[in-house]
Amino acid sequence: MSDLISPSSFLNFLEDKNFSTITGVPCSYFKDFLVYLASIEEETPMKHFIATREDEAVGIASGVAFATKRAVVYLQNSGLGNIGDALTSLAQLYKLPMLLLISYRGLLPDKDYPEHSIMGEVSEAFLKALKVPYWNLTVDNWGKIMTEAIERMEKINSPVALLIEKGVLSQ
Amino acid sequence: MKGHEVIAELKALITEKDIIVSCPGNISREVYHMIDKPQVYLRGSMGLQIPVGLGIALEEKERNVMVILGDGSFLMGMSSIVTAAFYQPTNLKILILDNAKYFTTGGQATTSSALDFSNFFKALNASFKKSSKAEESTIKQDLAEFTKAKGFAILHLLIETGKKELANISWHPEEIANRIKQTF
Repeated sequence: MSDLISPSSFLNFLEDKNFSTITGVPCSYFKDFLVYLASIEEETPMKHFIATREDEAVGIASGVAFATKRAVVYLQNSGLGNIGDALTSLAQLYKLPMLLLISYRGLLPDKDYPEHSIMGEVSEAFLKALKVPYWNLTVDNWGKIMTEAIERMEKINSPVALLIEKGVLSQ
Repeated sequence: MKGHEVIAELKALITEKDIIVSCPGNISREVYHMIDKPQVYLRGSMGLQIPVGLGIALEEKERNVMVILGDGSFLMGMSSIVTAAFYQPTNLKILILDNAKYFTTGGQATTSSALDFSNFFKALNASFKKSSKAEESTIKQDLAEFTKAKGFAILHLLIETGKKELANISWHPEEIANRIKQTF
């Protein structure tokens, strides 16, 4: 198994790409990264805001984009169902770019967690239906994948998504 | 007083440093027609006005953000008032215009009358918080206290139903966003 993406490299990458804020609802798939983020909150220029709901996080990121800055939103794919309106009638409608980090739960090893099974099956179809471009983030070539996603985000001036399986940002 | 009458009173208190985030339906339309442009007129995303205002306020400390929303939108996104109170941005103000109705969609009842806003605000971490009836005799003072308050402030006003006939917002959402971005 390849190593995880190093949390510090991941954060530095986002900062280099001019993201100033990160907000979202946690997933254990992001645990190592979020623990690292909390540990350096005092030093990093990246602002971190805890959200109560996934659509709230998209709303905060929309406000950041109105203020001409860029935000990252993190969420479980279970929360995809909560952000349909936030995307279609706010972020996409007003052309507010943001990067969505979505944990990809409900795949085979998750069969013990039935609450993720159906959304796991339809996550990609859901993103396609909402016309959100997405990439599967892997440890190999992660920088290249993210660069491509962020370039697309800037080009279309709208949200793009990265689907993130277990073992990429946390074990 | 009616909602548009409150917004008319607010006009004189809004400066270029301020930025209003308004909620879909009558309120966005009233803000568009009655207050200097541009402001963040939200058309969709009911329940997300506070997060949008919070995002602007946290990112841009030089601007004063005022979110104006109805009781229906407030209730839909109610957990966001807790998020706002948690971060306490000193440049964020929240004005709730409460007619206990989904007025834009035809006046259907909301559940807002079940909430004692004064007591709810007491439990909430905010520098200024007030719940009162919007009355002509007191509105100037209420709005002045609210807009001049230092720190995170919340004002809840019980209003009468009734609207002014106004044309729809003529700017496309992309134009709204572009004009707002130019002010930063």
